[in-house]
Amino acid sequence: MTPDTESSLEVATTGLSVDPTALEAPISLTPLSEAQRVLHQLIDAVKQKVLGRDDVIELCVIALVADGHVLLEDFPGSGKTTLAKTLGEAIVASEMNGQDGESSATGLSAFRRIQFTPDLLPSDVTGVPVFDPNENSFHFRRGPLFAHVVLADEINRTSPKVQSAMLEAMGEKQITVDNTTYPLGDLFFVIATQNPLDLAGTYPLPTPQLDRFLFKITMQHIDRDAELAVLDSHLAIAASSEPAPITVKQNDILAARETIKKQVAIDAAVKTALVDISRALREDARVLQGNSTRSIVLLLPALQTAAALDGRNYVSASDIERLLPRVLGHRIELTPGAGNFEKILHDVMAKPMEELARATLR
Amino acid sequence: MDNNFQVLRLVVIAFAAWLFSLPLSIASGSVGAVLGASFAIIVIQRAHSRGDLDLAIRLPAILGAASVIALTGLSIAIYLRNGSSLNQGVSALAGESLQPLTLYKSGEFIAALLLAAAVCGTLRLLALRSAAGRMAEIIFTASSIVLTLTAHRNGMIDRPFILGDFALIRGYDPAYLLMSIGVAALLALVAINLRDTSGSRNFYHLSVISIASLMLFVFVERIGLPSPELTNDLGLTGNTGQSEHDDNPFQDSTNDPKDKAAPVAVVVFHDDYEPVDGSYYFRESAYSQFNGTRIDYASRADMDTDLLAGFRDPSAANIGHALSPIPAAPRKTVRTTIGTLIPHRAPFALDTPTGFTRVANPNTTRFDTTYEATSAVPLFDYNTLIGRETGAEDWSEDLRAEYLRLPDDPRYSDLAHSLTASLKPEFSNDAFAQVWVIKQYLDENGIYSLKNAHATEQDPAASFLFGDLTGYCVHFAFSAVYLYRSLGIPARVGVGYSVPASNRAGGSSLLIQAIHGHAWPEVYFRDVGWVIIDPAPQQTLVDMATDPQDNLQQLLGDMLRDDASFDQFIAAQAEQRFDFGLLAKRLFASLFIAAFIVLCLSYLTKAYTRLAPRFGRSEWLYRSTLKANLERLASMGFNRQYGESREAFAERCQELSPSFYALTRAHLQRSLADKRQPCSTDWLALDHSIQQELRTNLPLWRRIAGLLNPLSSLAAR
Repeated sequence: MTPDTESSLEVATTGLSVDPTALEAPISLTPLSEAQRVLHQLIDAVKQKVLGRDDVIELCVIALVADGHVLLEDFPGSGKTTLAKTLGEAIVASEMNGQDGESSATGLSAFRRIQFTPDLLPSDVTGVPVFDPNENSFHFRRGPLFAHVVLADEINRTSPKVQSAMLEAMGEKQITVDNTTYPLGDLFFVIATQNPLDLAGTYPLPTPQLDRFLFKITMQHIDRDAELAVLDSHLAIAASSEPAPITVKQNDILAARETIKKQVAIDAAVKTALVDISRALREDARVLQGNSTRSIVLLLPALQTAAALDGRNYVSASDIERLLPRVLGHRIELTPGAGNFEKILHDVMAKPMEELARATLR
Repeated sequence: MDNNFQVLRLVVIAFAAWLFSLPLSIASGSVGAVLGASFAIIVIQRAHSRGDLDLAIRLPAILGAASVIALTGLSIAIYLRNGSSLNQGVSALAGESLQPLTLYKSGEFIAALLLAAAVCGTLRLLALRSAAGRMAEIIFTASSIVLTLTAHRNGMIDRPFILGDFALIRGYDPAYLLMSIGVAALLALVAINLRDTSGSRNFYHLSVISIASLMLFVFVERIGLPSPELTNDLGLTGNTGQSEHDDNPFQDSTNDPKDKAAPVAVVVFHDDYEPVDGSYYFRESAYSQFNGTRIDYASRADMDTDLLAGFRDPSAANIGHALSPIPAAPRKTVRTTIGTLIPHRAPFALDTPTGFTRVANPNTTRFDTTYEATSAVPLFDYNTLIGRETGAEDWSEDLRAEYLRLPDDPRYSDLAHSLTASLKPEFSNDAFAQVWVIKQYLDENGIYSLKNAHATEQDPAASFLFGDLTGYCVHFAFSAVYLYRSLGIPARVGVGYSVPASNRAGGSSLLIQAIHGHAWPEVYFRDVGWVIIDPAPQQTLVDMATDPQDNLQQLLGDMLRDDASFDQFIAAQAEQRFDFGLLAKRLFASLFIAAFIVLCLSYLTKAYTRLAPRFGRSEWLYRSTLKANLERLASMGFNRQYGESREAFAERCQELSPSFYALTRAHLQRSLADKRQPCSTDWLALDHSIQQELRTNLPLWRRIAGLLNPLSSLAAR
């Protein structure tokens, strides 16, 4: 509770009106270490429940703070829901007593899960106006998208119509129903999943839609020790009362987001390397379609967040090495038979990364 | 690009397979080897580029498959060569077209094809798997070149003839041509293999190998290749050394009949001389002292004083002692220059030598030893010897007795006396008459043959003389000497060469060939010396004639004479050709100087890099400290890979030096974030602690090697 409550309150009250100038003054006071603490708190909160997925958890938290969304490609029963649910529940409203003011007004719940099926309709996701005979008017009943963390399970199983409604919410942070636009919270964060196998009867997301996801994370099965630990802790959690959950205030996260954006430096050499890698990928014969400029723009805050997580106030080559495969993997289309994307990226990255490494000695 | 390199590699390895196949097989086999190697490499390379190849395949599996293929090829070849049933079967199918020769050729083809495919395929697979495999491939190519090169040393003629002839016709040593081809092939293969591995240091590796190859040429030019083992016959027949002297002289020589023509020495006459009895006799040594079973080399110093014990004999300058020429026995002084082509026990010269002088060897690759000999050659006929006493006046009784000893066998004396009994009374006590009647007995009754049954007898001479009288010069000579000695005439067996006078063919040079090796009886007549009285059996089972080798005789003679014309010829040859040696020397010298300058510069750079943190500007410390420590690590072999981030490298080195990680973080912080802010990091302290950690974590030799490594400032980045 180090940040002064006043500034937090201000964030909360003005959170929905996107006015950066109003936010600037109070939030710049927060030191970077505070942002780092917030990040670690979020990670620890999820780690309490989800075992053996440290890398995925960190990436999800980075995406959350960097204002992006995550597409998980994973097998059923691998802990996606637990991850998303824990993450959602770890984020609490800023002030218990201020809750009646804003939180009820925004009406955002911590976590919602949507199971996508072929017969789902957009209104099932966004919400629908319902006639209230008492007031003799339509009243908008919010759909499951009105939450901080939304788990969109098997997003490729639903029709493109629903997918596009979903993607509008992800891109614009708002929902439009009957020409009325309902804003979503600043922290609106979607974890979508798709099953890499069993593709019959699915509507694969086209590349431009995939572009809305900051990371695509292909999860591996957790290792043996972690799997054993999952079995142990499952029984333990069921038997005893759960440990006191770690919670992070919404406003703290927003403050951390601003702090990181302002205080983590991105050197010109880093930007040069990113642009060079993108250009080299587009020119590579094995690549059919390169990544968009938007992908690099989205990548910058993610790089900053990863740097802050590591306790640095600058973005360095290791951040690029860590995040670039996750960011570009689903944005690049390879020519048929070109082989492994990881290898192509490794080849293409070598020269710009070497330049970046040498830039600091000049 | 990739394809070009693979084609080049294919060419290089197929070339190596071809070289290997040359001494092992016939032309069809060579074609098979090239095709087999190419096929195996193409198949493996195709599979690899498509990604079908599982490189995790076990080594024993690879070797097993390769040996199965190779053995299949060999057994097919053997079957085609020997399998008559198959021959008949195939012949029946294909009509008469399949001759045994065709079968043999196709067998060789298949064997070489499969063998080359197995070997080259295995090597390519291994090369794809690991760096050690790539080395094996390089070694394969290198050894093919080396084997071919060694066969061509000192202008020797060997396969592949097209290369050897090409060079020899133009006056080059074929070894250089092969060396150039080999070095080019090796460099190409090394370059291709280096290209397969990533990393920019390949340039240095390649230049080091190139310099090493160039040095090879310079060293060969300066020092020369090691000589091939000296053989009797200039490497024409593969016969080694003259072993006649060490073995039982009665032992049949194992030489092939075709070795008989091999040249062993050449003699150049400075004075004209035609021998009285039609042959030039060159005495090298003599059997004169009885050793209990037969007469052997003399061990007493006062025996055979006209002979030299060896090439280093101090009395070589003048050895003529027993000659007090008398008017009745005219002699002529003949000077000769003799060049031996194979090693000899002692110098030999025309009978009777009076002095030996060593002369400069005009061609060390051709001649083993060259010397000048002066001989007082006999011009008298045998009439001069009639009525002459035997033995020298100054011989002691003891010495004379040595020349009269013979095996304890009464039959010698009986035979000798029965032969001399037929002499007219006035000659019955004359030594020469006795000698002559015995010679005539051997001439008339002996049968000359190189095949004989006496070699294993206790006394082969007795077995010959009292047996079938069939043998060769050694038998005749020993028998005659024993018979003479039984009559009280001092005699010995002279050993050397006897060349028919007609061989000289009017020229001034005389070629001595292996077939001219000879042994003959000699008798000492007072005031005349040792006189050769050579039995000439009238019946012979051997054709002793050799083809006249006038050209070789002329060539070797000219070479030995070291004529100005010959020099001019050689000089003209030398002028015509380009002096590769000089070019190589200059190139090497300039390279050496360049290397020295580069070395100095790199040490200067190294020193500057390391000392910069102490003396440089403080605002540059964040760079100079990292640079110095990067160089320090690089010199000990810790390099950042191409494209590797600074942090990743620092993490790799964290165990070695935690402070280096801290330094890297601080450096990145300074250069990527806080560019203008004053920095609180104590760079020099970090520098100091890194040195401290390296000192504790690395052995001393590694640090010293690092200090000496000149290339580290290039590798540090």
